[in-house]
Amino acid sequence: MPLRRLLALACAVAMVPSFAMAKDTIKIGFPIPLSGPTSVYGVPILKGAQMAVAEINAKGGVLGQDLEILPRDSKANADEAVRLARELIIKDGAQFLIGTLTSAEAPAVSTISKENKIVFLAPAAKTTQLTSPQNIHPYVFRVASNTAIEGQSGAIIVSKWQIKKIATIAPDYAYGRDVIAAFAAHLKQLRPDIEIVDQQWPKLGEPDLTPFITAQMSKQPDAVYCALFAGDFLTLVKQGTPLGYFKAISNRLADGGEVGAVDVTQPLGADFPYGIWADAYDPVIWPGKEPAEHKAFIERLKAFMKSDVGSGWAAQGYSSILALVAGIQKAGSTDSDKVAAAMAGLTYDTPLGKRTFDPKTHDADAGEFWGVMVKDAAYPYAIIGSPTYYNPAPMTN
Amino acid sequence: MAASFLFSQFVGGLTTAMFLFLIASGLSLVFGVMRVINFAHGSFYMLGAYLAWQMVQWLHPSGETFWPAALFAAASVALLGAIIERVLLRFLYGREELYQLLFTYALVLILGDAAKYVWGTGQLSVSRPPILGGSIMLFGATVPLYNLFVMALGLAIAVGGWRMLSGTGAGRMVRAASYDREMLDALGANVGAIYTGMFAVSSFLAGLSGALVTPIVGIVPGMDVEIIVQAFIVVVIGGLGSFWGTFWGSLIYGQVLSFGILIFPGFSLFSVFALMAVILVVRPWGLLGRPIR
Repeated sequence: MPLRRLLALACAVAMVPSFAMAKDTIKIGFPIPLSGPTSVYGVPILKGAQMAVAEINAKGGVLGQDLEILPRDSKANADEAVRLARELIIKDGAQFLIGTLTSAEAPAVSTISKENKIVFLAPAAKTTQLTSPQNIHPYVFRVASNTAIEGQSGAIIVSKWQIKKIATIAPDYAYGRDVIAAFAAHLKQLRPDIEIVDQQWPKLGEPDLTPFITAQMSKQPDAVYCALFAGDFLTLVKQGTPLGYFKAISNRLADGGEVGAVDVTQPLGADFPYGIWADAYDPVIWPGKEPAEHKAFIERLKAFMKSDVGSGWAAQGYSSILALVAGIQKAGSTDSDKVAAAMAGLTYDTPLGKRTFDPKTHDADAGEFWGVMVKDAAYPYAIIGSPTYYNPAPMTN
Repeated sequence: MAASFLFSQFVGGLTTAMFLFLIASGLSLVFGVMRVINFAHGSFYMLGAYLAWQMVQWLHPSGETFWPAALFAAASVALLGAIIERVLLRFLYGREELYQLLFTYALVLILGDAAKYVWGTGQLSVSRPPILGGSIMLFGATVPLYNLFVMALGLAIAVGGWRMLSGTGAGRMVRAASYDREMLDALGANVGAIYTGMFAVSSFLAGLSGALVTPIVGIVPGMDVEIIVQAFIVVVIGGLGSFWGTFWGSLIYGQVLSFGILIFPGFSLFSVFALMAVILVVRPWGLLGRPIR
């Protein structure tokens, strides 16, 4: 057969599947960092959401329709996230938005969600600015914890240490600034005798933390509260350890950026600074009384991700989908206004227990699991020794 | 401000400088000899890092597998560079610089996506080689042995490279090719081989610096773009095409960055960009460069 005919036939054949899938789906735009240093959190969040969608579609979907995720790489850049959000809504017909990772992207996408009246769920961004009285609107919801909760949890942990001087190191943008402010304020209340002797603010994604590390060490703090997360925490460990940063403070460091998640501990392996306090939304490995639903969730997650490690972040993507679906089902429709109204004050299921959106601030009452990072003979990476859920209830105001 | 602290900042700046020199020297070499601005140089650096990680995984994650892995990575990237030059780049020499720029930029995108496809988008980590895992105390500051090694290597390559360029017959050919390619061709020298060889050496340096940086920095998509910007700043400050210009440019960059965060704590990178802006206004061909004819 002449080549041209063959090509035409091949094109016709390739088109058939797209005609077959013309059935309507509920489209969920998903802009999140899929590359760069923060993708180590972004990719598993997306995978968790995809697993939720696969499970829900297998059971017949929502209101008789299948869910469809439209993933896009925001590169942790607010402008890119905004551009993608607009494109998803206007060109791709997204009816809902879930995503963004950083506290720079989320408030930016929130304005798009407000303009276009599209319900937007943030699975990871913590800055309180996202849901502050000036910025709150009916369509934005936060599945993540927030900087107030994290800062206060960190202060509670640090307040129990026998120290006099503390230093902080955090990325220089909304999340870093807000969480350190919350931490410092709460620490002052609990332990007014502790002095903050140094504060370092490297930019997010800074590849060379050495000058910040040496500057901080020169002030000789007894302990450090750290808000570096994802790739920045890896860099801190790789560059700080040979400089004696962790040794100088005897590993008295607390980090609220989910560096206790296997997504961070596994790449670091034996280089992880054991003995520091860290947290995760999902400890994955749960020594002690692990709830049965969580164990089952992790088994399914490992199979879905084709990994024997799982992820401490997938639960956030998974929970975001569950929250949205609960909202759609309560509203009985996919209309944005009805879903938004239904979600305010809604209680939804997550693999870590039930959570509720605050009716006014739309923040989930999401605490995290903190603990000392320890070695365990069964795993080649650090795990949270006794994961303790820090209940945000007394901390939100 | 304690002297030991100033010294540790200085050492940090030196380490940054030597890494940058390793990679910027290749960039400057290719421009000086071939008048090609190779954007893909950062991609070679990134590939060197990924290949080193891969080799370490295949051989054995612990133990002294780092050294063969680094050499393997550098050699593979050199081979890739030679192939790209021979098969693709050499058709663009006579053309406008714009085509070369577009081509090397296309390479950046292709190699970047290829790396993402093969190694994923997560962050990979290589441990420091055990033999250089410790540190020494120098003037009250902790200096990691690995950083000392990198500084020594950078210096050795600077001196060795200079000796080769100025002292050996091959070096003379290379310098001749940068002055006047047509004349050298007319004199019967194999300019094509010189070009391929130079590109391979430059790629080797990029791959090697990528491999050597893995114990200090996480391997992540985007590291190619990050480093090429820094390498360009270094060659702008030092002078495109000037060997010692690149060396001094790297040293200046390292120290300005290191001490910049003391003066402008919130604007760490500002100090380096400000320096580059000043150089571009006052002496656009760099400190030791020649005005481009």
